[in-house]
Amino acid sequence: MSLNVIILRNLKKNIKNYYLYVFALVFGVALYFSFVTLKYDPSLDVMEGTIKGGAAIGASSVLLIAIVAIFLLYANTIFIKRRSKEIGLFQLIGLTKGRIFKLLSAENLILYFGSMVLGILAGFAGSRLILMILFKILDIEVAAKLRFSIEALQQTVIVFAAIYVLIMLMNYMFIKGQSILSLFRVNSTAEERVRKMPIREIIMGVLGIAFILGGYYISTQLFGGKFVDMAELMAAMIAILALVIIGTYLFYKGSVSFVFNLIRKRKKGYLSINEVLSLSSIMFRMKSNALLLTIITTVSALAIGLLSLSYISYYSAEAQARESSPQDFGYVNPEVKEQFTAALDQAGIKYEELYIPVFYTSVDAAQVMGKTVYQKDEDKQIHTAVISDSSLGNVDVKPGETRLMGLSGALKNFMPMKETGELGFWTAEGKVPMKLNGITSEAVMPYRFGGGSGVFVVDEADYQKLVKVSYPSSQKNVPTEYYGLNLKDRGQMKQAYEIYTAQESTGDKDHALRLTSFSQYEFEINQRTSMGMIMFIVGFLGLTFLITSGCILYFKQMDEGEEEKGGYTILRKLGFTQGDLLRGIQFKQLFNFGIPLIVGLFHSYFAVKSGWFLFGTEMLTPTVIVMVLYTVLYSIFGLLSVVYYKRVIRESL
Amino acid sequence: MAILQANKIYKTYGNKFNKQEVLKGIDLTVEKGEFVGIMGASGSGKTTLLNVLSSIDRVTRGTIEIEGKEFTAMKEKQLAEFRKQHLGFIFQDYNLLDTLTVKENVLLPLSITGISKKDAHRKFEQVAGELGIYELKDKYPAEISGGQKQRTSAARAFVHDPGIIFADEPTGALDSKSASDLLNKLADMNQKHQATIVMVTHDPAAASYCSRVVFIRDGQVYTQLNKGEEARQSFLGDIIKTQGVLGGVQQ
Repeated sequence: MSLNVIILRNLKKNIKNYYLYVFALVFGVALYFSFVTLKYDPSLDVMEGTIKGGAAIGASSVLLIAIVAIFLLYANTIFIKRRSKEIGLFQLIGLTKGRIFKLLSAENLILYFGSMVLGILAGFAGSRLILMILFKILDIEVAAKLRFSIEALQQTVIVFAAIYVLIMLMNYMFIKGQSILSLFRVNSTAEERVRKMPIREIIMGVLGIAFILGGYYISTQLFGGKFVDMAELMAAMIAILALVIIGTYLFYKGSVSFVFNLIRKRKKGYLSINEVLSLSSIMFRMKSNALLLTIITTVSALAIGLLSLSYISYYSAEAQARESSPQDFGYVNPEVKEQFTAALDQAGIKYEELYIPVFYTSVDAAQVMGKTVYQKDEDKQIHTAVISDSSLGNVDVKPGETRLMGLSGALKNFMPMKETGELGFWTAEGKVPMKLNGITSEAVMPYRFGGGSGVFVVDEADYQKLVKVSYPSSQKNVPTEYYGLNLKDRGQMKQAYEIYTAQESTGDKDHALRLTSFSQYEFEINQRTSMGMIMFIVGFLGLTFLITSGCILYFKQMDEGEEEKGGYTILRKLGFTQGDLLRGIQFKQLFNFGIPLIVGLFHSYFAVKSGWFLFGTEMLTPTVIVMVLYTVLYSIFGLLSVVYYKRVIRESL
Repeated sequence: MAILQANKIYKTYGNKFNKQEVLKGIDLTVEKGEFVGIMGASGSGKTTLLNVLSSIDRVTRGTIEIEGKEFTAMKEKQLAEFRKQHLGFIFQDYNLLDTLTVKENVLLPLSITGISKKDAHRKFEQVAGELGIYELKDKYPAEISGGQKQRTSAARAFVHDPGIIFADEPTGALDSKSASDLLNKLADMNQKHQATIVMVTHDPAAASYCSRVVFIRDGQVYTQLNKGEEARQSFLGDIIKTQGVLGGVQQ
């Protein structure tokens, strides 16, 4: 039997075992290739102006390759360990280390570059799909056409060839550094499995849970007004990160075995088959994989969190656009507005017009403001616009009272205010007391007018009085009147927006006009594009991470299955059926995959919960959608591992 | 009363063209309360015999009954159920699960019978007390000696009162002191509880603890010796003599 035959045989055997590795590799190459293809594709120029699509995709392809490279290297260490006996045997029959290395390299070469070719083909086919997804997210109506990019091909081949060289280097060092005897012993020394539970571990276990809960607790308090200083806020955030990450590590290192040990103690030695297969094995394994599990949990929590936040942002694009421009269109300059309405009339588009005169003032809010970043009373001033209730039509404010409209969600958290209380409007004739009667988050004026703090609405009579005594210096260089236009039929929005943009581009080219005319539709598109892009990138990176980490957990389970095969033999000899064992294994995998998943989901839930309002207006739906999706994809790997165990159990007697 | 009855059992390995006949028509009857030893040279088929008798392996031809139940035609699942209820095992390499404590290992066969927790503990105390492993109950297999492991394995075989216990070279990996300890315990259990034990061994000294020794050669029963009222020492002499005649190589 020549070496070539051995190589081919090994390959055949390995593919059956490592189909997931091949799949992950193909997926990684495909995704990388399509990202690079997109980067070089001219059709992405459509989005120029809003953000640099190409650059963003380029940067994320670097991240992607980092994830894939780490995965491939890690997977390789698992594989080479599994094959150490085989390598030892080759050495025993007289093959030199150099020959063995050649053998392994040739084997890997075929497997690796075979998958790479597959990946590039899939990537070429898939890049069109990916572009279509991107355009769909971004709401761009361009047919997704793609050419085969030679640059992308070159880049992909170079990058993956480099990873291949790295893997070979690792194999070389592994073979070089091992003696025949140690190779035979790798598996048995790999894990010291059975020990008593030392006090140290109990302490670690309790600390782990306490740290995580502590981190969660601080996270819920983060924007609740407790941490008002920027430095304090930073410190709190770092504390949360540290507590949660260290807590997660201790959790795997101690808490899991601690809790399981408690359950086991209570059974007093009388364990059911499910407990035999799950409790004891998980207790010892989670400890030895603590670091790996911590990394997987943390990064997946990060991925879920980022994805949720960008989805929240994308999901709330409409609401945020309403905050930026409450009316469909808004103008500061009456002449420009006239031009626009004339064009609308001509096109037969009907609309309602709103005219709101404005003045600006400082308002002393010391009485209603809670604990904020500003400590001193004289800092608790809101500088914003004041309008009359008559301009709005549907709002009525009593004389002497005022209502704050359009306080943004983010600011509401940073600057908590009581709904009612005494305010002081600063005028040229001193402070005029006004009674605050209600705060709404619904905006009535574009963001430009009130900032995030909204505008004060007062009674018409009060408005006339106040405007006369307002500081003249506050009214300089700011718009003092506003025209809002609402279309009667929002179906004509696109048509109206075309008129709007045409006008904008014929008007003066500088940015003055951008600041004086507003289109809700434009705000929404911009938000969708930037958030969509981020969501797209985070989504695919997250998917890559999910697949690679799922694969690693699966490989670990493969190893575990092989190691525990002897146990299954014993149990089957004792009279447990394959079905009994399989049920036990399902139970065990529920924990093996479930614990990291649930910890990751909790982490991301608390991360999202602490600061979601900075990103959008709706938290639950987008977050739940992301989490469910993640759980489903992740569970696939758990199911695959059960299928693998089924085979091990069947072959064990 | 015969507890195990094997009629004309054959076992062949391999395919049509390359047949290896390991068991060639063995008849064997074991009475309740007997302690039977099966001896033979390497490759004589004694372990295969034990495997088919204990339903871990299937016969090619022939029938085996245990406690009046014929099981050679049973399905895999029924076989597992059968082993669970009627059989106990002691293996050469102990076959303990090293992630479980001594007590958990011993109680393993009980967990499927649905016996109450209290009864299970009582049962454990009794068996573990008799085999002298009660103090080890919270230790893991890695923390105890080979002899202690084998006694744990024996306790697991006895704990659910099986109809018959199969022991495959139980002393094979033990030093002589632990081996005689274990065999004394097995003989005790056999005497006190009328437990039926079938033990495969190649060690004449181990076989001398049995009440009857069956010699296997080339897949057939060669001869058997009954201890009767004989002392263990003289029985050992008989066994060694027979074994000498038996030899490993055809003469």
